[in-house]
Amino acid sequence: MKARSFRYLIGEGFKGAWANRLMTLASMGVLVACMVLLGLALLISQNISRALGVLEKQNVVIVSMKDYHWALYDDSVKKVTEGGDQNGITPDMYVIHNEEEAKAFCDKIAALDNVDSVEYIPADEGLTATRDHFGESEKKFFDFLEEDNPLSDAARVTMKDMGRFRETVDQIKEIEGVDSIEEQGDLADRITAFKNGLFIAGVWIISILLLISLVVVCNTIRITMYSRKLEISIMKAVGATNAFVRIPFVVEGILIGVFSAGIAAGLLYFCYRVASEAMEKTFSMVELVRYKDAVLYLLGIFLVIGILAGAIGSFIMIRKYLRREGSEFSAI
Amino acid sequence: MAENNLNMPVQAPAEDRPVIEFKGVSKTYRSGTHALEDVNIRINKGEFAFVVGSSGAGKSTFMKLIMREEKANTGTIMVNGYNLTKMRRKYIPMLRRTMGIVFQDFRLIPKMNVFENVAFAMHVVGANNREIRKEVSKALSKVGLGDKARSMPDELSGGEQQRVGLARALVNSPDLIIADEPTGNVDPNMSYEIVSLLTEINKKGTTVLMVTHDHNLVRDFKHRVIMLDSGRIVADNTGGVQE
Repeated sequence: MKARSFRYLIGEGFKGAWANRLMTLASMGVLVACMVLLGLALLISQNISRALGVLEKQNVVIVSMKDYHWALYDDSVKKVTEGGDQNGITPDMYVIHNEEEAKAFCDKIAALDNVDSVEYIPADEGLTATRDHFGESEKKFFDFLEEDNPLSDAARVTMKDMGRFRETVDQIKEIEGVDSIEEQGDLADRITAFKNGLFIAGVWIISILLLISLVVVCNTIRITMYSRKLEISIMKAVGATNAFVRIPFVVEGILIGVFSAGIAAGLLYFCYRVASEAMEKTFSMVELVRYKDAVLYLLGIFLVIGILAGAIGSFIMIRKYLRREGSEFSAI
Repeated sequence: MAENNLNMPVQAPAEDRPVIEFKGVSKTYRSGTHALEDVNIRINKGEFAFVVGSSGAGKSTFMKLIMREEKANTGTIMVNGYNLTKMRRKYIPMLRRTMGIVFQDFRLIPKMNVFENVAFAMHVVGANNREIRKEVSKALSKVGLGDKARSMPDELSGGEQQRVGLARALVNSPDLIIADEPTGNVDPNMSYEIVSLLTEINKKGTTVLMVTHDHNLVRDFKHRVIMLDSGRIVADNTGGVQE
C-alpha cells in the first residue's frame, strides 16, 4: 500500500470517528468506566502490596550462631576440666571462633538465592537491642548481663520471596554453625496467601474488564460498519483491497482506545488525589502510593488496553464482515 | 493468453483479444438453482453489448461472474486477461480495477459531494492528489457535470446522479464498463442521454456491457444484444433485436 493511501485511510479513520461521534462517545464512556475501574483495582492492589512489603520487611529471621557464648550456655556442650579455658571450653566445642568466621557464616547465608540481606549482629549489639526494647526502669535488670552476656552472635536475615520462606529457613538450617532460628513462618504464610489471592483477583478483574472493552469496541465498529455498508460496497466494486477497507475502522477503534485512555488517566488522577488526601488526613499512619508515581504506569496500561481493544476489536469485526458480506456489492 | 503462475495478466488485452470470454460456463447456487448453463460467449475489445432477458434469466449471475463476485461451477471465464476460474481471492481487487461499474441505484455516498464521490474511486487505487484533481475534473466534464463538482448527491436529479456514477466508473480509465440497468431509475429522456454517453465512451475504445430491460433503448441504439433465458444464451445479435 502506498504511503499516500495510508495517510488517506488514517484521515478517513478520524473522519469516521467524528461522523459517528455519538456512537464514538458512547463507546468511550464505557471504555473510560472500564479503565477507571481497572485503574482503581490496580491502585488498591499497589497500596496493599506496599503495606504487605512493609510487613514483609519486618518479618526477619534471626539466626543464632554456635559461637563461644553458645558453647558456654548450651547444655549439650560438655565442659572439660582439663585442657580447656577457665570455663572448661575448648575451641573444637564450637564452630564460630571470631568475628571473621561469623562474617564468613553470614556470607554463606547471603549466598542463598532467596536471601535479600544479611546483617551481622555481634552478641553485644544483640544485648543492647534487646535492652532497648524495655523501659528505663526495666533496663537495669540487663546490667548484670553485660559482664556475662548469654547471647550468641547472630545474623539478621530478610528474604526476597515470602512464598519461599520455609524452604529458605530449611536451607539456612543446613549451614554448619546454626544454633537456632527465630522466625515467624505463619505470618509469612498468611502474607503469601493474601498476595496470591490478590493476584488471582487482579487477573480476573483485568480479564473481565479487558473483555468488556473488547466487546464495546467490537460493537461500535460493527454499528459503524453497517452504517457504512454502502461505502464498503463501493470500495469493493472499485477494487479496494481488504486492507484498504479495514484500515479506517482499525484507526477509528484505536482512536477510541487512545482518547479513552487519556480521559481515564485524568479522571483517576482527580478521584485518587481526593481520596488519598482524605485517607491520609483521617489516618495519619497511612502512607499511600503517590498517583504521580503510578500515573505513567497506569497511562501505559490504559493505552495498551485501549489500542489493543481498538485494533483487535475492529480487526475482528471487519474481517468477519468482509468474509460474510464484503464482496456482495451488487446485492445491496 | 499468456499468464504467469499467479494468474496475473502479463500484458494488456490486444485489439483482437476478447475482453470477456465464457467457455462452457455453468453456475448452480447452493440452493440448487441453475442460474447459467453452458454459456459460451466472447466480447471483444471495443464492443458495446446489451444483455437482455426477463427476471430470473441469469443476467445478474452473468454480471456477478464477470466481476468475480460469484465463481463458476464449470467452464472457463477470462476477463481483461484474468482467468477468473483459477484466480485467487487476493487478486480480485486487481481485476476490479480494470473495470468500471455503474449501478442501477447510483450508489453515491450521501455525505460526500460529487467531486469526492468520484475521487473516492481514485483514492482506492492510490492516486495522488494532483492526479485526482485532474482526472476527476476530466471525468465530470465528460459526463457534463463539470459545474456540479461541489453539489451534494441529494441536490441532483436521478439522471445527474447516474452521470456521477458513470464518472466514477470512468475515472480510473478502465478497459471495461459494466452497467447494471443504469437507466432503471431515471426518466426515458435521461435514459437516452446515459446510453448516448456510454456509446461515446465506447467509441473511444472502452468495452461496454450493459444490462437493460428497456427494449426501446436496445432498438434505438444499434449495438450487439445478448439475450438470456433460463440461464442460456438464446440470441446473440449485432445491431439490435426486433420487437
